[in-house]
Amino acid sequence: MAKGESPLKQFEIQPIIDINLFGLDVSFTNSALWMTITTAFILIFFTVPFLKSKKTNSVSDLYPSRMQVAAELGFSFINSLLNDTVGKEGKKYFSLVFTLFMFILFGNLFGMIPYSFTFTSHIIVTLALAMGVFIFVTVLGFVKHGVKFFSFFVIPGLPIYMLPLLIPIEIISYLSRPISLSVRLFANMLAGHTLLKVFAGFVSALGIFGILPLVFIIALTGLEILIAFLQAYVFAILTCLYINDALHLH
Amino acid sequence: MPQLEQVEFFISQLFWLGVFFVILFSVLTYITLPKIRAFLNQRDDFVKSHISKQDELMKKAESIIENYEAKLTEAKNKASQIINDAKDEALHESEKLLKATEEKIQQEIKLTETRVQKEKEDALSELNTQLKNSATDFISKVTNIEKGNINL
Repeated sequence: MAKGESPLKQFEIQPIIDINLFGLDVSFTNSALWMTITTAFILIFFTVPFLKSKKTNSVSDLYPSRMQVAAELGFSFINSLLNDTVGKEGKKYFSLVFTLFMFILFGNLFGMIPYSFTFTSHIIVTLALAMGVFIFVTVLGFVKHGVKFFSFFVIPGLPIYMLPLLIPIEIISYLSRPISLSVRLFANMLAGHTLLKVFAGFVSALGIFGILPLVFIIALTGLEILIAFLQAYVFAILTCLYINDALHLH
Repeated sequence: MPQLEQVEFFISQLFWLGVFFVILFSVLTYITLPKIRAFLNQRDDFVKSHISKQDELMKKAESIIENYEAKLTEAKNKASQIINDAKDEALHESEKLLKATEEKIQQEIKLTETRVQKEKEDALSELNTQLKNSATDFISKVTNIEKGNINL
């Protein structure tokens, strides 16, 4: 980082190919590039190990290869996550949760590569994902329960005179779900990368004593990788919980 | 903050997010996940079939053990029966032998006793005749009477 460069410069979007579709600017940017890399990686990582599965029914075919074990790990992770939060009905939403989790996870992780770009550090991206989840869950609730879905805002077992106070609170908390969901992910990514960049600035500024922030950066990188996983996990588990709420109301 | 300042790229970001998310979701849903699921199911089936096979074999082994144990106790009973029979027979035989021997001994004793008696009597009668002879000799010598005339 050159001196005086803002630590927020890493979040700047740079168009790579200018594309104009129906008068809309849909340029292929560095954000889109890393979305491409993430998508391609996930598809290769999970598809390729299972491609040569001819049904020969021999025992040796049933021993998973290393890549299959790795892919299986992700599969069973989401599977148990859905099973624990939603139960057996959750199987229908498996691919949605799986896609969300992997997209965010690898988006976050690839963002940790130096000189790369973290597309999950943009509020517009996380908000779009969260709004997608919010709209999906709300529609799901209405499809499953019809008008009865509104009873979700009424906490059972509460005295009637409390309802005028609590129903608005419930509605506000419901409507704020996509905001909290998106801001949590966006802010974590933003803060982590900014902090790393600030301390990287100290390394060059302090000369020989730059070793101290350097050590700190190494530790912080580990923490950031943990957060990259954790935030994807939080996003996925909250999606599961929202699906559960929509299916079972209270 | 570029996140809020570069509003001109919002549409582009949303567009590409939509494109890649839909691609990822569709490919995962229709190709990748069914493949993984099929693989896992295949393995589960294999394991389950082996578990049921193992149960079957276990039951078989148990029945074999039961059979074996029944046969073993049967054989043991038979063996003890044979041993008892043999013991009885041996006891019987030995008793018979003992009785026969005793009888033989008794007989022998009786035979010996009569022989001894006879010998005793023989010896006594011989002694008697010898005494008589010596007495006759003595008397004839003293009295000069012919031996034939002395009758004791």
